[in-house]
Amino acid sequence: MQLKRILVPLAGTSVDVEVLRVAIALGKPAKAEIVAIHVIEVRWNLPLDAVLEAESERGEGVLDDAVKVAEQAGAHIETELVQAREAAAAIIDTARDRKSDLIVIGMPFRKRLGRVYVGKTVQGVYVGAHCAVLAYRQEETR
Amino acid sequence: MSDRGDNGGKEGADAPSLEERATHTGSKIGDRRVRIIRPAAGEFRRHGGHYVATPRVDAPQSGFGRAYEGARRILFGARLTSEEEAGERLSKKTGLAILASDNISSSAYATEEAMRVLAIAGSAALALTMPIAIAVCVVLAVVILSESRVIRAYPNGGGSYIVAKDNHGVIPGLIAASALLIDYVLTVAVSSAAGVAAISSFVPAVHDHRVLWSLALIALLTVGNLRGIREAGVIFAAPTYIYVLSLLGLICYGLFRIVFGDAPVAVTPRDAFEPTGLEMLTPLIVLRAFASGSVGLTGSEAIANGVPNFKPPESRNAVITLVWMGTIFGTLFLGLTYLATHIGIVPDQSELETVNSMLTRSLVGDGTPFYYLVQLSTAIILLLAANTGFSGFPRLASVLADDRFMPRQFAFRGERLAFSFGIIALALMSAAVLAAFHGSVTELVPLYTIGVFAAFTLSQSGLVRRWWRLRNPGWRLSVFINSFGTLVTGTVLVVVVYTKFFYGAWMVLLVMPILVGLLFAINRHYRTVHDALLLDRPDEPIPVLKPPVVLIPVARLDRATLQAVAFARSISPTVRAVHIASTAESAEEFARRWRRWTTEVPLDGSESPYRSLLQPLLRYIERIDERDDRPITVVLAEFVPRNWWEWILHSQTALRLKLSLLFRPNTIVIDVPYHTEDTGHGVTPRGPEDSSR
Repeated sequence: MQLKRILVPLAGTSVDVEVLRVAIALGKPAKAEIVAIHVIEVRWNLPLDAVLEAESERGEGVLDDAVKVAEQAGAHIETELVQAREAAAAIIDTARDRKSDLIVIGMPFRKRLGRVYVGKTVQGVYVGAHCAVLAYRQEETR
Repeated sequence: MSDRGDNGGKEGADAPSLEERATHTGSKIGDRRVRIIRPAAGEFRRHGGHYVATPRVDAPQSGFGRAYEGARRILFGARLTSEEEAGERLSKKTGLAILASDNISSSAYATEEAMRVLAIAGSAALALTMPIAIAVCVVLAVVILSESRVIRAYPNGGGSYIVAKDNHGVIPGLIAASALLIDYVLTVAVSSAAGVAAISSFVPAVHDHRVLWSLALIALLTVGNLRGIREAGVIFAAPTYIYVLSLLGLICYGLFRIVFGDAPVAVTPRDAFEPTGLEMLTPLIVLRAFASGSVGLTGSEAIANGVPNFKPPESRNAVITLVWMGTIFGTLFLGLTYLATHIGIVPDQSELETVNSMLTRSLVGDGTPFYYLVQLSTAIILLLAANTGFSGFPRLASVLADDRFMPRQFAFRGERLAFSFGIIALALMSAAVLAAFHGSVTELVPLYTIGVFAAFTLSQSGLVRRWWRLRNPGWRLSVFINSFGTLVTGTVLVVVVYTKFFYGAWMVLLVMPILVGLLFAINRHYRTVHDALLLDRPDEPIPVLKPPVVLIPVARLDRATLQAVAFARSISPTVRAVHIASTAESAEEFARRWRRWTTEVPLDGSESPYRSLLQPLLRYIERIDERDDRPITVVLAEFVPRNWWEWILHSQTALRLKLSLLFRPNTIVIDVPYHTEDTGHGVTPRGPEDSSR
């Protein structure tokens, strides 16, 4: 399978760097276009296009860091900052609009009630995406 | 599907911004998302409600720019952000090296300067050297005590200037400032000349090109200081400490030998003074010897001036450094003077060898490694003493610039957080002084030290007034200390002026009032400009102007003209083109072509039989301006060549016109550049049906 376009959702967690490196490694053979996306989830009591200074600043920081990681790995990536009610729907729609072949999504190692907790965003993307999804779970020891 | 450009619902939505928001509908009903489009991502990042430019903004685009940047980085170091300022501060150890090298280096020649004057009255008079050295140290103690009070009272730096201005008024403050500025320039000139003289003692070939060597040294110090004050401190720290340790070692060794009854025999100079003396020992000679020995007081001002350069707590660190400086200088000066007078060293009349050199030779022997260590470290610290000027002048100039007595550029910090403008200005002025005096220490020295003593006297008397006014607990002691300081430094000032007046001190006394006048004139200009630009009230409404009268000088009918006319019509309905032709035929021909192109923009043609272009155009603008009270706006169509060397192939009429109109009141000049790669971006060509409107 030739991967031409890869979408990498980044949430600003410790798994971001690893998942981005995985995406770069996967996309390298076919020189795939890699897009890193950060979704700001807007609360329902605010308008969707509300200017959220702190969240935007954090999101820009996450994406700027991703650009630096990519540059260190010798790759070029595009970035996209999005505001939506639910991150999963925004990721799926962005992947559809950008005609992505693969979504590489990371999961920090978290446990709830003794089980690994996947999180609703990963679950939503896994279930709803039109394209292939690769979920990368962080090692337990970290 | 997207609905772009609502810009977060803010006003001025159609104005371009660094951020756009586009709403996209999703695949499911109700799923919407807002894409935040950041065309400048990587160049600007958001921080606390505003944008912060990233290093990428300053990164050069062209190959030449990158090469220049690489060379600049090697020479001056990487750029520093404003937040890194605290990291660039000086510790006490580096502060001592960078701000006290002038004072500490004075110990290399202070003893000799005093002895040289006393020797005129015969060898017996040299016995007074030690009492004079003690007197100088007492004055230094008073000055240090006083300066420490200056530091605590004025922790933002500025030293004597601030003290004098606050307590005596603006003019005395400016006298202190100009005295110090002159002295800093002379410090650099004298120290670099003295350093080169010290080198030329080892390498005589250097003497023939001493001006060039001195200029090269100033250039080296300039680069070192442009790299930032902390790095300069690192560069200059080692030589200062080597000098201090080697001389302390010498003094300890000398005292050890004397205590254990092994006092060495003094080396005799090649050209000794007459043992019986040439003059009678008079109080004036003693005063002159004291004035000459007082060169050791120079440099303590630099620490009070540079308090903000220290790491926090700035005032405390500056005071501790000041005390260290005084202790080191006092120890070296008294130690060397004691040894020199006890052993019986006599100065060399022809300055072939320094007293310190003779003393070292007497103690450790000629040609020993320690002798060379002492001589070499002395030469290096004399060279580096110039650095006190480099740390003092830019800081004082920045304080003056903040007070609007010097051009604002002096207050700007460069890429390495150093006051680059002050550093370069000092380098240029000291280089000019050095060249004018042929790099001669003897010619330069009489100009020196007047400024420091004038500033000290003003600041100490200023403090007396301050203590008297505030009457804080212990004010009587403070008044006594500073009154004594005023008396002593004032006396030294009078003696220095009296004894050095005809040797060149008159030049300083002439330049000082001129400089004060200049600083005052600069301030008056800034105040006038400030008054003219000041808003009457903070919520002053934006005035509503009538659309201006727009004039477009046109040379030919081309794409550049088309773009300029299109732009002119976008800002005002009153647009008029003007064409200056050299012959009646060409004027008529151009008017015909213009009418054929458009009838919407009237053209005024004018014939200039003498082929002059600017004057007829300027006179035309003047006449139009006389008949209309609206502001005149001149829109210039300017062709911009792709490469810099193509500029010479074009007449640059727009540039000349722009310069001519720059100072014309009530005239707005708008340049509409046309690049060969321009495709008329934003210009919407009209169809034939539009032209009828």
